[in-house]
Amino acid sequence: MAIRFLLAVWVGKWTQTLLHLLGKNATSLPGKIALRLAPDVIARLGRQLERCVVVTGTNGKTTTANLLSSMLKQTGPQITNAEGANLQQGLTSALLADTTWFGRLRKKSAVFEIDEATLPLVAKHLPIRVLAVTNVFRDQLDRYGELDTTLEKIMAGLNQTEAVAVLNGDDPLARHIGRQSGNRSVYFGMSRSMARAEVRDQMRDGAFCLSCGHELRYDGFFYGQLGLYVCPACDFFRPLPDFEGTMVNQRLEVRQGSLPTVVYDVPVRGMFNLYNELCAIATARMCGLTADQISAGLRRFATPLGRMQVYATSPVSILNLIKNPTGCDGVLQAIASEPGPKVLCIAINDQAADGRDVSWLWDADFELVPEQLDAVHCVTTGMRAEDMALRLKYAGYDTTHIHCDPELSSGIHHAFTLAAERGGLPVYIIATYTALYPAAEILNRKVDHDEPAPLHRASVS
Amino acid sequence: MSQRLCIAHLYPDLLNLYADKGNILTLVRRLEWRGIEVEVTEVPSGSEPRLQDYHLVLLGGGSDREQALVGQTLRTKRSEWQAAVEDGLPLLAVCGGYQLLGHFYQLPDGTKVPGLELLDLETVAGSPRLIGNIAIDSPECGTIVGFENHGGRTTHRHAPLGFVRQGHGNNGQDKQEGVRYKNIVGTYIHGPLLPKNPRLADFMLGLSLAYAGINAALEPLDDRMEEAAHEAFLTRRIGG
Repeated sequence: MAIRFLLAVWVGKWTQTLLHLLGKNATSLPGKIALRLAPDVIARLGRQLERCVVVTGTNGKTTTANLLSSMLKQTGPQITNAEGANLQQGLTSALLADTTWFGRLRKKSAVFEIDEATLPLVAKHLPIRVLAVTNVFRDQLDRYGELDTTLEKIMAGLNQTEAVAVLNGDDPLARHIGRQSGNRSVYFGMSRSMARAEVRDQMRDGAFCLSCGHELRYDGFFYGQLGLYVCPACDFFRPLPDFEGTMVNQRLEVRQGSLPTVVYDVPVRGMFNLYNELCAIATARMCGLTADQISAGLRRFATPLGRMQVYATSPVSILNLIKNPTGCDGVLQAIASEPGPKVLCIAINDQAADGRDVSWLWDADFELVPEQLDAVHCVTTGMRAEDMALRLKYAGYDTTHIHCDPELSSGIHHAFTLAAERGGLPVYIIATYTALYPAAEILNRKVDHDEPAPLHRASVS
Repeated sequence: MSQRLCIAHLYPDLLNLYADKGNILTLVRRLEWRGIEVEVTEVPSGSEPRLQDYHLVLLGGGSDREQALVGQTLRTKRSEWQAAVEDGLPLLAVCGGYQLLGHFYQLPDGTKVPGLELLDLETVAGSPRLIGNIAIDSPECGTIVGFENHGGRTTHRHAPLGFVRQGHGNNGQDKQEGVRYKNIVGTYIHGPLLPKNPRLADFMLGLSLAYAGINAALEPLDDRMEEAAHEAFLTRRIGG
């Protein structure tokens, strides 16, 4: 078996080297090949680790894991799957990149984001000390009818470890994991002062108690199903957060028990990213990091591509990835929470990596655009620009302010022209996967050629 | 006589796999733009719709398991459904909802999930799934475009909704897609079926207004964006 293992390592590493030489993405294929040659490659590499920290959940895995890895790097080198390849082959590829030709790991500590369904398959092979669950979104689960299976998979994974679970206490579904699991759990959550009285109806439908089935009562909402919930029929309620976050003057105050409150920078934008940051801080704390180490990690953090990523174009632009209705709604809400008028540019492609079927555009909450987003113009672009324009029309957006141009480059340029004509409004670009990279290139070129704009902008309210 | 068009969306909690919301939204907006009052009732799973309260019923798509559940509920009122359909109740059924209108849906293991038996139609699970962009020519509604994704092969002895220009249709064999019977429209072209096919949307609305006895004309709308999306799909996704 050792021979097969070494063969898998060699072939995997050669594949990695080859892909790098070709300038190709090597986050998945090398691991896939290695796993085929030796299915126990994760177990053999994993047992060489001394500590592994894992992030799972429906949304925010990549950002949270990247924030966390930036913090943990203050304590020593970390193996990570930073590009978000979070299935078995992605984990294997990340491990192989830090493996010698003799099958020895060079680093002893790892931060991984792991897909919910992959977690129970790999949990027993990794020395997971802390496991964070960002959130478990019900509307996505309902869509696939897999509510119970996803929760069960996370719990099945957690139960194979002795990890401390760091859970989103504002999310009733994540809270359920804490109540069912035998592992020690700590909760993070926002302070009551940040809750809003009402939230859009469609975002919270189906918030039922998982213990008794009764409809949950909410005293306030943060976003989606996240809020101050309590079951009127049983003893299921939102726990008092062990790590409580409050946004004060564009910075995040974190209160942890009776310890002094610590104020952190916010290198990310949007309410959902604030949760990701709070989750990462709580997890880092459970790993034993000091507030200074966490702050240093936050300062060194670079926003991953397309996660409310700011470009110093003129006018300023912010790029976001959308790929499913839940994620899209989070992005739209984040943009809506940024004050002032803006230009919105939506790039929709329908290649294999995006999904050939764009039906999901009709499940996403584009009604937010006319109702709350304050977009004075909308440009729709990409291969399905016309479908997107139609979606905005039926969402109730004024059609005279829609400009439709399927060609990505001229569509984006038109958005900048409209923004400049209006005195330099910010341009928010949201794009599906295959439109994201070309959009980023266009924005990078605009940064090089245009006068840079000041980056001091109001962040989330 | 009520001057409000009442639409029932059946079991959105079970059958809402493919953006049925887009179809409802299209119907509602196209009535609102013409100043016709409309009310949509979402009928949740477990409860039975009072068919006499509605002028248009929408049945969406779901997975096999959910579809079987819905079938069971609906079958208890089969005779009422049959009477309503024969009386001309407009019914738009997509994917799973479409399959439910027939005698049965035969699963890969041979089990037959009984349907509502409103149509002389049956469906047998097949492999591979029939997935992709589709365009059909419909005698009543012109070209209809969209996306299909179904394992079932459906055959029936009624008129089809249209004839396949590109794509698979009912069974991938006979070049037929969907079904037309009385005021029923059944199809595998899933959401968003209606936004890009305004003629079909207005066809359903016309049937429903007549059934409701509402004396309102369907004035032409500014459909340039709808037509642009329809045409772009035909040229770029179907190829002429």
